[in-house]
Amino acid sequence: MSCNTSVTHVHVSSVDQAQKAPVHLIPCEIEHNGPAQVSQYFTATIKDRKHEKTVSFRGRGLKGQELSCPQGYTGLVLKEINKPGSDQEDRTVKVSSVFDKLTYWNLETPPNSDDTVVRAMDWPDLAEAVSTFNKINLKFMVQ
Amino acid sequence: MDISPYETDNSVSCRLTSQIPDVCRKEDCCLGIDEAGRGPVLGPMVYGICFCPVSKKEALKDLKVADSKTLTEAERENLFQKLDEAKSYVGWALQILSPNTISTSMLQRTKYNLNALSHDTAIGLVQYALDSGVQLKEVYVDTVGPAEKYEEKLSQLFPGIDVTVRSKADSLFPIVSAASICAKVARDHVVKSWKFAENLGEVDTDYGSGYPNDPKTKAWLLKYLDPMFGYPQFVRFSWSTAQTLMDSKAVTVHWDDEEEDGEKAAQRQNNRSMLSYFGASGGDNGQNPTQQTHRFFTERRLRSLNTL
Repeated sequence: MSCNTSVTHVHVSSVDQAQKAPVHLIPCEIEHNGPAQVSQYFTATIKDRKHEKTVSFRGRGLKGQELSCPQGYTGLVLKEINKPGSDQEDRTVKVSSVFDKLTYWNLETPPNSDDTVVRAMDWPDLAEAVSTFNKINLKFMVQ
Repeated sequence: MDISPYETDNSVSCRLTSQIPDVCRKEDCCLGIDEAGRGPVLGPMVYGICFCPVSKKEALKDLKVADSKTLTEAERENLFQKLDEAKSYVGWALQILSPNTISTSMLQRTKYNLNALSHDTAIGLVQYALDSGVQLKEVYVDTVGPAEKYEEKLSQLFPGIDVTVRSKADSLFPIVSAASICAKVARDHVVKSWKFAENLGEVDTDYGSGYPNDPKTKAWLLKYLDPMFGYPQFVRFSWSTAQTLMDSKAVTVHWDDEEEDGEKAAQRQNNRSMLSYFGASGGDNGQNPTQQTHRFFTERRLRSLNTL
């Protein structure tokens, strides 16, 4: 259990300089955090068929589709500027890029409206409905 | 041989066919099946059928077709030319199984192994010949697996056709040799002029035979390993050679259908597996049960954040 008392600050002003970036959500966990040759290997091999996109990653077949961010929302890619030495220190992140849509990928299954991430986008509407009764403000993220 | 239909999208499987000779629709025919490029870690596997009237078996023998493996590349090209010149009575069809098809099939959630893929491809080609009106009476098949079972399977699928499955059929029956030449010529062409869909700039094409034990192939696989993506689609990811190299030199990737030790997976995901409840240090010191998340959120994998 962590007893984290630090505060994370987001440099909101960096939104203005941030470029739009293509974002892919892929159905696996990669033990890596950092740059990768996405456009050379991944984007270049995506096939756009009528109702779905196909690609493969590490020899496994993926099917995907584009998904827009909920109306009025912007996706943010955050980057930590200086990693703090301990978990007691405050942290600062800046917006490195923004997105208004993303491409999510399923392992072999055609994309459909029951997919977790599609349904996750229900939350903003629901949250708004709830908060008109109750001034609760919930932060959320997609795991 | 024109392989351009395959080159428009070399990530998927593609069928190339000759014209069907008129005589094959009228007379009883024999058909041979063979494959090229089963073993290599690079490039496609090509299945080939070749067919002609039974009455032309001798004429085919006179073309001096032989097992493609005993021939040089130039000899194979030459023999393919001869088969093409005999198109009034010889027809062929090829199924090019792209390396990406092989990888994604063999690594599918419900595994589709190379033998099953091979059999289905061969069956598909025989069916193509039948659908095109070829009067099939005899089918000869080269196989690497057990011949009897395969022969039984094909005989049941194609009643009325005399099916012969033999290992080394490509050196026993000229019509199988002819099929093996068509398949091998196609594979040679494809490998030689492989167009990388990836944006890799100039790619070194000195990849040797493509067999895992070829030092040139090994060197190429080391040179073109990307720590994130592994390899371009030219490589069969399902081959242990490729897997071993990625295991040692590329970043680890976890898929949800992977067989992984439950305890280890739980540790990695920073939660506890069922097994830990049976351990000596078991007991509930985890999350406060009163803060249980509603199904609405867990189903959507949403969670409230207090740290990054």
